[in-house]
Amino acid sequence: MKRNSSTKKEQQFWAYTFLFFPLMLLAIFVFIPILFSLVISFFDWELMASQQNFLGINNFIEIFGDKIFYKAMLNTVLYTIGVVPIQTMLALFLAFVMNQKIRGRTFFRTAFYIPAVTSSVVTSIIFVAIYSKEGLLNSILGIFGFAANDWLTNPHTALISIMMLNIWTTSGYFMVSFLAGLQNIPNSLYEAAKLEGATKRQQFWHITVPMVRPVTYFVVVMSLIGCFQVFDQVFVMSDGGPNNATTTMSYYVYQNAFRYFRLGYGAATAIVLAGIIMIVTVIQKKYFPPNPY
Amino acid sequence: MATIEIKNLQKTYPNNHYAIKGIDVSIQEGEFVVLVGPSGCGKSTLLRMIAGLEDISGGDLFFNDKLMNSVHPKDRNIAMVFQNYALYPHMTVYDNMAFGLKLKKMPKAEIYQRVTDAAKTLGLTEYIDRLPKEMSGGQRQRVAIGRAIVRQPDVFLFDEPLSNLDAKLRVQMRTEIKRLHRKLRNTMVYVTHDQIEAMAMGDKIVILKDGVVHQIDSPINLFRHPQNKFVAGFIGSPAMNFVSGEIVKEEGLYFVTQGMKISIPPPLQVSMEKYLGKSVDMGFRPEYVYDKGLEKERRLSTDVEIEILVVENVGSETYNHFRLNGMDTIYSYRSSSSNVHIPGEKLTVGIDLERLHFFDVETEKSIL
Amino acid sequence: MAMVYLGPFIFSVIVSFSDNKNLINQPGQIVNSGWTLRNYIYIWKDLPFATWLFNSVVITACQTVTNVFFSALAGFTFAKLEFRGKNLIFGAMLASLMIPGIILIIPKFLIINEFRMINSYPGLILPGMITVVNIFLMKQFFETMPKDLVQAALIDGCNYFQMFWKVFIPNSKPALAAVAIYTFQGTWNEFMWPLIATNTSEMFTLPVGMASLRYELLTDWPAIMAGTILVSIPTLIIFIIFQRYFVQGVASTGGKE
Repeated sequence: MKRNSSTKKEQQFWAYTFLFFPLMLLAIFVFIPILFSLVISFFDWELMASQQNFLGINNFIEIFGDKIFYKAMLNTVLYTIGVVPIQTMLALFLAFVMNQKIRGRTFFRTAFYIPAVTSSVVTSIIFVAIYSKEGLLNSILGIFGFAANDWLTNPHTALISIMMLNIWTTSGYFMVSFLAGLQNIPNSLYEAAKLEGATKRQQFWHITVPMVRPVTYFVVVMSLIGCFQVFDQVFVMSDGGPNNATTTMSYYVYQNAFRYFRLGYGAATAIVLAGIIMIVTVIQKKYFPPNPY
Repeated sequence: MATIEIKNLQKTYPNNHYAIKGIDVSIQEGEFVVLVGPSGCGKSTLLRMIAGLEDISGGDLFFNDKLMNSVHPKDRNIAMVFQNYALYPHMTVYDNMAFGLKLKKMPKAEIYQRVTDAAKTLGLTEYIDRLPKEMSGGQRQRVAIGRAIVRQPDVFLFDEPLSNLDAKLRVQMRTEIKRLHRKLRNTMVYVTHDQIEAMAMGDKIVILKDGVVHQIDSPINLFRHPQNKFVAGFIGSPAMNFVSGEIVKEEGLYFVTQGMKISIPPPLQVSMEKYLGKSVDMGFRPEYVYDKGLEKERRLSTDVEIEILVVENVGSETYNHFRLNGMDTIYSYRSSSSNVHIPGEKLTVGIDLERLHFFDVETEKSIL
Repeated sequence: MAMVYLGPFIFSVIVSFSDNKNLINQPGQIVNSGWTLRNYIYIWKDLPFATWLFNSVVITACQTVTNVFFSALAGFTFAKLEFRGKNLIFGAMLASLMIPGIILIIPKFLIINEFRMINSYPGLILPGMITVVNIFLMKQFFETMPKDLVQAALIDGCNYFQMFWKVFIPNSKPALAAVAIYTFQGTWNEFMWPLIATNTSEMFTLPVGMASLRYELLTDWPAIMAGTILVSIPTLIIFIIFQRYFVQGVASTGGKE
């Protein structure tokens, strides 16, 4: 190596120049916060204090004796278990139907997708109205003779009501993912199956479902991550109530950090939540890999 | 116009993998040089090093005696035509050709002059406002050539420019590029993996394999006097037949293998002497195998009994594939289309003794 | 089925034009209700809706423009340039995607607070100026463009920025549009960060402002519904116009795994 290369050096120069600002932002708002959150979680962090009070792992110890934390965790898990499978199946079903040659496909696709592109605050407010004591849902159910229920203030139905909203908003979004996956399945596979006498139903289970498995994996991961961190809807619709019936872990993090200003405890809670999410996604990757073939 | 001098050029990758292992080539002004070899031989890397797109790890590159190793591609006064054309998809034909000139801040009028001239030369005048996607593959490649011409470069570099075109168009573009070369008289370096294309186009051909030059020569010399077994097998279609055998001495020197005994032609007698009792490889081209019953004039070898396996009749001639008795290798023999054989036919043939090649088994070098 | 998805919106449009404040509680009364624009005029004039709209527009515009530019630039760099530390940096970005966003909230708040940027435009805009997912999207897109284009541009005399700006950007409209629409939608609808990073009404964005109204206007559903409709209209328009790119974007992220 006697002479140093012009093109390599030049590329290097431009690459660093191009990445300087993006990487600086990522460092300040992603990389450093990840480490910083660990630091905060070991302190009783005060916003105005000049020196922070080190607590060691006391925040984490407190978490394990915190009844509301357990309640929040239970709510979050119930929420996720309720939403993810229904949402995924509904999205796949909608995509399968939309992939058939039906009239007005674009219209239907848009209709299914609109809830997903609308602000979560907006959809939450609309559903507060729908779920209210004398709201639309009770009126419709009244026609069939059901007694009116105050969906969001009844501890038994509050969480389920928010789950329904979430299924409603995001199933259309994931439908589009599935639709793209379906369109990538070569038609010849279906033709081959038809020649062998497979029914529509058999085609769905033996061709469509296995072929969209990578998409299913992606949808389930995204849906899991989203559900575990559900916040907006809880904030707008129920504020965690009644009596913590809808307090989710994200909401609990927010509450501790920004209502009670227990930033250290909030950070510790967030880390536990992040840990759970990462463990779940790793387990999913291991036992339900995107592409086992 | 430029001469190119490549001296002990090397390319190493960080994993210590040698792509180019010390190559020497000198290219005269106005010469059309073809770099050819199987994929992975380093021909494209070499071309990209000439262009300045790949760094030089060792050795020197001179244009007109000026060291080019660390000169930026745009300052080498070269132009390059790529395999997949590399036209800017969002620019019209005109803008594609003018882009480099605009970057050089050339006056508009001159750009216009050069581009319209090039378009005229290439028959692109009526497509000047089209986008690449609205054109056929052949037209796109013409635009790519036009983009090279307008730069009026010292050196034209072609990186497998025809391999995306269909067979017929490829032959047509081949002649067009040759015609262009005759008109412009620029130094051109052309990379291809297709030996027929190389033979048809090159004034001089550089045969590369595994980052090493195997032979640099004119097409006819490569065909007649390959320096080693690789070149012998690479040039020519169908490929040269090889058979291993032993050198024995009777009243003269003979090459002997199963069912074949061929006397060594007199010019080779001396150099073959030292292979006496050793094994060597013999090569003979399918073109120089003759039906003993028909060919009377050439000096042919002793009778070789063959059995035809497969016959490929391509119209102008026929390729017959056969086995020598007891051996697995399939050989080929070209006959005229009027002399049609059928599979299973037994035949006595002879090989033209003037056209035999012998190779050292170890070095694979030609024995001369 | 489509009714289930559109119904709630239709319902909220109807309520927003009604002059019957109790319509929400008596859906059967739709027929008897009078129609009016009063609700829209009310939220526009008597509530800080216009201020929130302005804030949302400023923040969304700044973030979308910078995010698209930086994502494209970084995506191009990772796709087409070779440099020391590339795999390390890329790996770190990949790993950061695995980290759930919730743990970033508190440290981000403290950092912005340290910069004295709470309740200010910079505090709202800066954290959203770059998104790792968008860099991936752009990188993937640029990787589909032939390497020869880089070399042709180099020989034509481009430096790498000219190459990016004059050759690659003009040819990546679909990807840029997908990233732009994504960012637009995400920023416009973002709730948690502006909720945390603002503390006075004049800095609220539309979602935060709307959420703050949910108790104040508990009895005035037509006005709230008018607000929700106004908030949704920009995303709806953008979505309907650019639907094609939207769908492509979702499709390409979906295929990533």
